[in-house]
Amino acid sequence: MKRKVMINLIGILLAFILGAVVMLIQRKDPLLAYASLFEYSLGKKFVYTLNKSVPLVLTGLSATVAFASGPVNLGQPGQLLIGALFATIGGLYLKLPAVLMIPVLLLLAMIGGALWSGIAALCKHFFRMSEFITTLMLNMIADFFTLWAISYPLFEKDANHPQTPPISPTGWMPEWGNLSSSVLVMVLVFAIIGWVMNRTTAGYEWRISGQNSLFSRLGGVNVNKNYLVVMLLTGALAGLAGGLVLMAGPHRFIKDMGANYAWDGVMIAMVANSGVFLTLIFGLFFAVLQTGATGMQLTALVPRELIQVLQAVIVLIVVAGRGYFETLFARLEARRKMKGLAK
Amino acid sequence: MKIIIGLINGMLTSATPILLAALGGSVTYYAGIFNIAMEGMMLSGAFFAALGSYYYHSWVVGIFFAILGALAMALIFILFAVVLKMDEFITGIGLNLLSLGLTTYLVRQIDIPVTGIVPIPRIHFPGLEQVPVLGEILSGHNLVVYLTLFAVISIHYLVFKTRYGLRLRASGYNRTCLDTSGVSANRIRISSLLLCGILCGLAGAFLSLGVVEGFTQGMSAGKGWISLAAVILVSGSPVGIALISLIFGFTDGLGLFLQQDLPPQFTAMVPYIATLVALFVYSMRMKKKLIA
Amino acid sequence: MGDIITMTQIVKIFPPSLVALDQVSVNFREGEIHAIVGENGAGKSTLMKILYGMQPADSGEILIKGKPARFSDPGEAISSGIGMVHQEILLIPEYTIWQNVVLGIEPIKFPNHLDVKKAREFVRAKINEFHFNLDPDAKVADISVAARQKVEILKLLFRNVSVLIMDEPTSVLTPQEIPQLFTELKRLRDNGHTILFISHHLDEVLELSDRITVLRKGKWVGTLDAAKATKAGLAQMMVGREVIFESLRQPQEPGETVFEIEHLGYTDADKRMRLQEINLKVQAGEIVGIAGVEGNGQLELVNAIMGLVEPQTGCIRSSGVDITRLPILDKRRKVAFVSQDRANMGACIPAKITENVIMTHHRLGKRFTRAAGSVLDYRQAVAFTGEVRQMFDVQMTSGEAPFKSLSGGNQQKVILGRELMLEAPFILLDQPTRGLDVGSIEYVHRQIIAMRMNRRGMLLISADLEELFRLSDRLLVMHRGRIVANLRTEATNITEIGYLMLEGKAYEA
Repeated sequence: MKRKVMINLIGILLAFILGAVVMLIQRKDPLLAYASLFEYSLGKKFVYTLNKSVPLVLTGLSATVAFASGPVNLGQPGQLLIGALFATIGGLYLKLPAVLMIPVLLLLAMIGGALWSGIAALCKHFFRMSEFITTLMLNMIADFFTLWAISYPLFEKDANHPQTPPISPTGWMPEWGNLSSSVLVMVLVFAIIGWVMNRTTAGYEWRISGQNSLFSRLGGVNVNKNYLVVMLLTGALAGLAGGLVLMAGPHRFIKDMGANYAWDGVMIAMVANSGVFLTLIFGLFFAVLQTGATGMQLTALVPRELIQVLQAVIVLIVVAGRGYFETLFARLEARRKMKGLAK
Repeated sequence: MKIIIGLINGMLTSATPILLAALGGSVTYYAGIFNIAMEGMMLSGAFFAALGSYYYHSWVVGIFFAILGALAMALIFILFAVVLKMDEFITGIGLNLLSLGLTTYLVRQIDIPVTGIVPIPRIHFPGLEQVPVLGEILSGHNLVVYLTLFAVISIHYLVFKTRYGLRLRASGYNRTCLDTSGVSANRIRISSLLLCGILCGLAGAFLSLGVVEGFTQGMSAGKGWISLAAVILVSGSPVGIALISLIFGFTDGLGLFLQQDLPPQFTAMVPYIATLVALFVYSMRMKKKLIA
Repeated sequence: MGDIITMTQIVKIFPPSLVALDQVSVNFREGEIHAIVGENGAGKSTLMKILYGMQPADSGEILIKGKPARFSDPGEAISSGIGMVHQEILLIPEYTIWQNVVLGIEPIKFPNHLDVKKAREFVRAKINEFHFNLDPDAKVADISVAARQKVEILKLLFRNVSVLIMDEPTSVLTPQEIPQLFTELKRLRDNGHTILFISHHLDEVLELSDRITVLRKGKWVGTLDAAKATKAGLAQMMVGREVIFESLRQPQEPGETVFEIEHLGYTDADKRMRLQEINLKVQAGEIVGIAGVEGNGQLELVNAIMGLVEPQTGCIRSSGVDITRLPILDKRRKVAFVSQDRANMGACIPAKITENVIMTHHRLGKRFTRAAGSVLDYRQAVAFTGEVRQMFDVQMTSGEAPFKSLSGGNQQKVILGRELMLEAPFILLDQPTRGLDVGSIEYVHRQIIAMRMNRRGMLLISADLEELFRLSDRLLVMHRGRIVANLRTEATNITEIGYLMLEGKAYEA
């Protein structure tokens, strides 16, 4: 257990060192940059960090559950957008009090996401089409489709950019100070997903199917049904992320609202290696980095786009390092054994 | 008639970057590597092509830089997937994201005004141009389009007629067998990734110095994924890839053509929908084989 | 004829703590056939892989013709004249024979063009030189296993090796194909080649070799002349104690039919008929063995019974219930299954031991779930793992450890435990002792006999004819997708079964 934590930390450290090298080439101060990064995101802007972690953790959970269970769902970007779209439509046309509006909109967001991933799931189920490619293509299609939707039918008249009018205020996620209630939703979802994966029969079957689907099949597990359920569930999670981005953020569908959240979620899932708890930790960590990027730019004048590079490097190094260090430790133990033999 | 010629020319132009990247993908496919990093290599090539062309006022340097940029990505892939033996899928995704982040970061740092970029020229064959219809199709394309034709033939020859090709395919079929035959499968795999880098770099150069001029963030826009779909659909064969790429390129051009009647967002979707349709057809054929 | 190879004090440890070779020293003489015997896990393969450059030794010295040598890859070994034919045939099935043979030393025309004509000529010449009966243009996928083995040998002779290492060469051949291999190996030896071969089949070793070296649990036990060795003596050196070779079965009256197959037929996606008119019956308290060369339909039969493929005709019944097209979970109420492929079918290697043990039980056994089967009761799972551990004598640290931390023998015990505890009336066993050491094999056999006493019915598919004869009451032989014989074990012998396996019909004098 301790070894695993060590490996993750070494990987992150190496990535930071590499980032520092890039900064030095640009004649910026890396220590000041990193200090201001953490100070900003963990200090007075800690609440913003938490808020920002919501879509990261949710899309990360979506990818984690999918990867752990077998289906290759890379469609979180598209599912997030469609989820946000459904919530937007609901928010524009439904008139409900807040206590109903919020759960209804969130439900619509989940339905939207599940619908989008469901298309890929059905294509796999009926036509054996690889969900790897279909989810990727659906990402691009969702991108264009939502852009069309906010430019034509849902377009806010006289606006300068493609966007919708704001949704009804009853659909706005309440805030306590600056902390958004979406954080509460995220924590709740995290707890539920953790419980499902580790304590239910379904979660057990999903995990084993993800590691060896033939063995599960022979053991009597209904792999096909589980596949569909996982695809729908993970689509719903990504859709939920989209809904929360809408309802806790700009309150209207604007261009590039999904930003890079979903791909970041995929990266988080990879670093977390199919662990639900680690997904939460890394999701929060990435949120720290992304919020802190602003602080880094303000104080140390290091451009915030460097964070994107840092994130990718962290993923590559931590995952590579995991394999490498495990082999290293095993080899060291073997050498110790051999010395014992020679005596 | 003019419309048809326009469509065919558009098809060749749109197909070129997909075809080049797919050729690179097919070489790694034959080597037995699960390579999904064509998108990242292409994007890196596109950026460095613009950079090189601007700073050295030469498209030749632009192409050269593009290949170097893509090779840099290929080297990172090699480091993680081959040397450190990391999972190829994760390496590919990580590489694509790294390339996106890096090129976005660099394009914000370094200004590359469009006016300063020297694009890759078109080539006109004076005698051929006079020929009606055929002349307008065969002549006047960008240099890279003709290079791509050459690439298809070369790769086909390389994979099926040379000693290297025999070893390349052996690496994909059974790398342990290749190793015990005295040829390092790792070296073959590395060489295939480098070759893929060169081809993807050229594809990227075509994007930023041929189709349009200049680099915009994320300009590969999923073309790398379409080329991956092409490789998977035809199981690698270079000629098959050429045909599929032409079909995808055609749908891309068709999209532009339809822009007069449909909103631009829908026409932009056409190549991705086409990929889904192609995948559908392929999967149905596979399914029929299993039932029958 | 002096020593051509000397290996001294070789040590090899597989991380983190598995000692494969513990200071082993052996000499090999030029122009001899030298067998290396030991049970699975004794270190024979590892020793040869180190010699061949496939693995580095952690310490020790190797001399080739008196000069120190350490190969870092097989290519170097081949250049020094040493070649190895592996147990799993390492060829490229999609390539032709000549392509496989020249791979790595292909003749070319400038600058890199493959000279197909020359390659085919060279290979044909070598085939004729050694009187192998092969067609250079045949695809390896289309030729027999014995032929593939010849191609492997040809590949090495093409590179002019003088020392041939063969790893369990007879494991892929039928009894009828073995004498031809021995003739060829003896001819090569008389020609001046040196042959080192790894085996655990003592009859063959005694027939073929000049000298024999015995390894046990990574240590050298002894090297002796074959003329002076006996089967019992060798077995005792291999295991360290006396080994019993006769049958374990007590005569027993079989009960009602627990499993039957009628008119089963299956054609695969490539329109090849894999199973034809399969009819068989298994009664309670009976072990029915199926013998056959791999690839004659056994895999398809297993897949059809388990539900991985759907047969076009026929039906499968267990205790009278038609289970042919039932969902797999319903089949599992009646059928326990020990597959030949531990890693892919029998277990989930990266998962925990407990997670492996409760598979299928989690749906069929009410004690493992609460809330109408949706929530797992993990405490019950842990308790069950403890029960299996005790009843099947599994050496493990805890149920939370990953399955892959278990040794091969213990993995099979866990799988056996899980399947036998399903209490199904019928058990399908596919190569249940493949890759296990003698101790584990004996244990598994004892469990199988215990189940027989327990009045369960069993179908036992095995490539080990000795095992089949020890355990089965009746023997079926599969050939080209058909059952070509159904005999009481007492009424037949290994030679007859071997002939049936190869020819598909009985020997006619």
